Amino acid sequence: MQASAKIWRHFDVWLLATVALLTIAGVAMIRSAIANNPELVELNVVGRQAIFGLVSLVLLLATAAIDYRLWSALSRPIYVFNLLFLALIPIAGVVGFGSARWFQLATVTIQPSELAKILMIIVLANFLARNRDRIHELRTILRSFALVAVPAALILIQPDLSTAIVLLVIWLALVWAAGARMSKLAILVAVVLLVAIVLTPLLVNYIVQGYPAGEDFFFLRNYQMTRLVNFIFPNPEESFGATYNVEQALISIGSGGLLGQGYGSGTQVQLRFLKVRHTDFIFSSMSQEFGFIGATIFLLLIMFVIYRCLRAARMARDGFGSLICYGVAILLLFQASFNVGMNLNLLPVSGLPLPFLSQGGSSLLTILLGIGLVESVMLRHKRIEL
Amino acid sequence: MIHAWRLRATIAAMGLLLAVFIGRLFSLQILQGELYSNLADDNRFDRVSLPAPRGVIYDSNGSLLVRNLPAFNIYVTPALLPDSEAEIEAIYIKLADLTGVPLDQPGPPAAPCVGGRGIRQLVEEGATNRPFDAWPVACDIDETTARVLRQQQIDMPGVSVEAVPVREYPTGNLTSAVIGYLGPIPAAQVDFWESLGFLADRDKVGYGGVELNYQDILAGQNGLKLVEKDVAGSLLAEVGPGNSAVPGNNLKLTIDTRLQAITASALENRMEFLNRFAGEVRTTIGSVIAMNPQTGEILAMVSIPSYENNRLARFIPQYYFRQLSEDASRPLINHAISSEFPPGSSFKMVTAVGALNEGVIDPKQTLFDPGQITIQNAYFPNDPGQAKEFVCWKEDGHGQVDFIHGIAWSCNVYFYKIGGGFEDEVSGKGLGIDDLGVYARALGYGAPLGIDLPGEEDGLIPTEEWKRLNLGESWSTGDTYISAVGQGFVRGTPLQVLTSVSTIANGGRVMWPHVVQEVLDGEGNVVHRYEPCVLWDIADGILMEDTSEIAAGCDSLDPELRENIIAGHTVSPDITVAPGVLELAREGMRLVVEDEEGTANPYALLDGISSGGKTGTGEFCDETAFSRNLCVPGNWPTHSWYTAFAPYENPEIAVVAFVYNGGEGAVTAGPIVKQVIEAYFELKAIDAAR
Repeated sequence: MQASAKIWRHFDVWLLATVALLTIAGVAMIRSAIANNPELVELNVVGRQAIFGLVSLVLLLATAAIDYRLWSALSRPIYVFNLLFLALIPIAGVVGFGSARWFQLATVTIQPSELAKILMIIVLANFLARNRDRIHELRTILRSFALVAVPAALILIQPDLSTAIVLLVIWLALVWAAGARMSKLAILVAVVLLVAIVLTPLLVNYIVQGYPAGEDFFFLRNYQMTRLVNFIFPNPEESFGATYNVEQALISIGSGGLLGQGYGSGTQVQLRFLKVRHTDFIFSSMSQEFGFIGATIFLLLIMFVIYRCLRAARMARDGFGSLICYGVAILLLFQASFNVGMNLNLLPVSGLPLPFLSQGGSSLLTILLGIGLVESVMLRHKRIEL
Repeated sequence: MIHAWRLRATIAAMGLLLAVFIGRLFSLQILQGELYSNLADDNRFDRVSLPAPRGVIYDSNGSLLVRNLPAFNIYVTPALLPDSEAEIEAIYIKLADLTGVPLDQPGPPAAPCVGGRGIRQLVEEGATNRPFDAWPVACDIDETTARVLRQQQIDMPGVSVEAVPVREYPTGNLTSAVIGYLGPIPAAQVDFWESLGFLADRDKVGYGGVELNYQDILAGQNGLKLVEKDVAGSLLAEVGPGNSAVPGNNLKLTIDTRLQAITASALENRMEFLNRFAGEVRTTIGSVIAMNPQTGEILAMVSIPSYENNRLARFIPQYYFRQLSEDASRPLINHAISSEFPPGSSFKMVTAVGALNEGVIDPKQTLFDPGQITIQNAYFPNDPGQAKEFVCWKEDGHGQVDFIHGIAWSCNVYFYKIGGGFEDEVSGKGLGIDDLGVYARALGYGAPLGIDLPGEEDGLIPTEEWKRLNLGESWSTGDTYISAVGQGFVRGTPLQVLTSVSTIANGGRVMWPHVVQEVLDGEGNVVHRYEPCVLWDIADGILMEDTSEIAAGCDSLDPELRENIIAGHTVSPDITVAPGVLELAREGMRLVVEDEEGTANPYALLDGISSGGKTGTGEFCDETAFSRNLCVPGNWPTHSWYTAFAPYENPEIAVVAFVYNGGEGAVTAGPIVKQVIEAYFELKAIDAAR
């Protein structure tokens, strides 16, 4: 660790400022979204989110202060800790909304699968950086896949399909960024296609018999199939059923117009026609209250954050740091795109939170820890400090 | 290190996503912004229908025949119930105690106010649907319980008591045939009524009588207010001014309830007497109508059996409605206007006016009644076995009979001869069925008269063509004979029989019969008056060219009712009667009552009041009679008719009484009419003395 305070000259203030702004905007947006929900107000969801945000910002700075190369050395314990943490869930987890994803620590609930995202970025970045020379070998790619497959499987059985997908996307992106040949990745794609060909008859059989009977399709639960079906074939008769949330989200966004209905004045939000408006559909809440201008500014800000992460990836002094920054950028890009796409009814409904905005402490903490890592890389991007 | 191009590619992908998202936002928020704004408004704004109070109905003296009473319903608003389960339980128990609705009883979902489920089930259903709406748990509770609940409401959050208007009919089944009743909007007509601003689950509409026919005037116009609601249905604010409800107007009938009551009891007593005398239920159907022959105003209209419309006022009990619908004597039918019967000798007035006006007979000329006449079969003139005998009701015959005594004695043979001809005694072949039809229609038979009540029937005046089409047989002289005395295929409603007589009584004007005289607003001001209306006049010397002139210029008559009358005629029913014809017919009717041999003389001679009348004994053989083996050839059962007007010189009341299977006309129906007319003049004297 460099003791010198000089390294702080390289601290990316723009990144931190934008992140802090987005975090504050998130707390404010959550406040508006739950204003007319007495139960959530009583639970002090806003206050808790604000405290989480503050603690996370402190942790961000702490992470930035710690030399990221330390994590490279600790990669193996981190991986083991991650697996243990995830494996404990079925034993000691708290069940909520039909799946066990949380640990209860005093008054704070912690979601290990969120932390797993950042931990796996470190583990994968370390592995790929160490195996740069052999990155063109299929063996390396498969080994790295084995690394991510175990936690992904543990998350999948919670069940939490979307987080498992996030891990796989991060893996794919990092392998690609590490320099894997396109031809190797094409082999992977071929494998996926092969699996799809094997699965298709099974899927057809399932749609004909299993789905109407309420059965699950392997790891895809029946409700997840319903979401997919509703996205692909929306049923116009069913406006109070499964398509309700998506329809209300579109109404919320569309009725925002150019300038929005104003903070705390969105009718869809305040009169609670929009569901899960403080988590999955907070982008719709924001779009109604702040309009096209507000939503566009938000998108530009979050893309700016991602851009700064990619910039850090370019400037990093070593492969490990570079891959960490790239992983964090992809994490943000994928989650933000998927959530916004879902809000805009471009993608099927999933439980992926919107970075910075969606209510939820673990998600916020994960993202800010990721930013902390990026800052840590930035602080130390010059080889020699004079 | 990551290849620079891979980073650039990532940034490019990021830019592409950003462009897609901003493009989509632009499309949703800017291009389709208005559409979604409207959808958002649809979500939060709700139209609330404000009920319009329904108009009430008065009789001609201003007595209430229909009024609105509050019925008390108890509602529970699930969202406002207390938090603690124990407190909710206490409220449920108290409600169950007070109202008698079971605490816990599962049952299938049903319309509001239909029993079968417990309080807990009803509230749970409400809570899962719209928790901020008030859900009825007990309907139509008595007022005391409602007051007790109102006092205790403060300790029972979420419970409310509300008064909803229900109809009450103070005169009940006395006037139900005229007034009718209300019922829920039928599922098949929901769209129609909702387009008029009605609310299907709440508002009721007329199902019979005046309540049905004057639905538009009585109902008024529901109001509308726009409110803002949240997703749970909790009311937040009223938006905009909205429309307030326009109350329905009130109606003043031509019916005099006092006369109606006397009429009803006269008919009831007579029918009861008949049944007691016969030792069996001989008659179950009867009808009396009293009308002002000068104006067409119905003064009393009784149809027996009747129904208790108060029992249908709050909701329609299935068992009672089934009982009413399955009763063979059809209590839900207003027999005065909706049932057709053979009019019997009452119909002789048609033959009399026709034969005289067509010159078939000279009024002074006498025809011989030997008690029976025989006519040869036209196709087998020399075969006595094919000949048919036509008898007079008096076996010995009436001897020599002139015009007025033909009416007075109701001499069948006289009317056979003038109706269908006999040898060479009358000019030509008598009046004939075609002209009989013309005069029947001219006097009001054979088509609706446009009374302002639903379900009027048109009766039947047979023609040669009708018989050929419906029975496949040729018309015979015998058919003309029995038609001339109102038998055979001839059918008429009591209202038509009354109209024929009152037209002769008033000098030839066929008046529009009606039961509503005025429309009043809430303060009692006359909004509209239904002026008396002449459908056509057979004595004014003016002949209508075609049916479209019927009741032309008659503003009082609803266009739809007028269409019904016009549709009932293929040619104009108007005729021109020569001066003196109606007077002679009236003279005959006077002798019916005043001549010592007159058919109504022993039964309907009025004390100190001059009158004219005509008895009728209509032979019938319907399904009921057939199944009871009453249809003995030559001795069929008979309906009893009597129709009269008074005073003779300047008639102001005309009454028809009809008793199903009542036996001879004068004996059964005569005294009823006598009582009604006498009561009318007594009431007139009482009113004058006031």
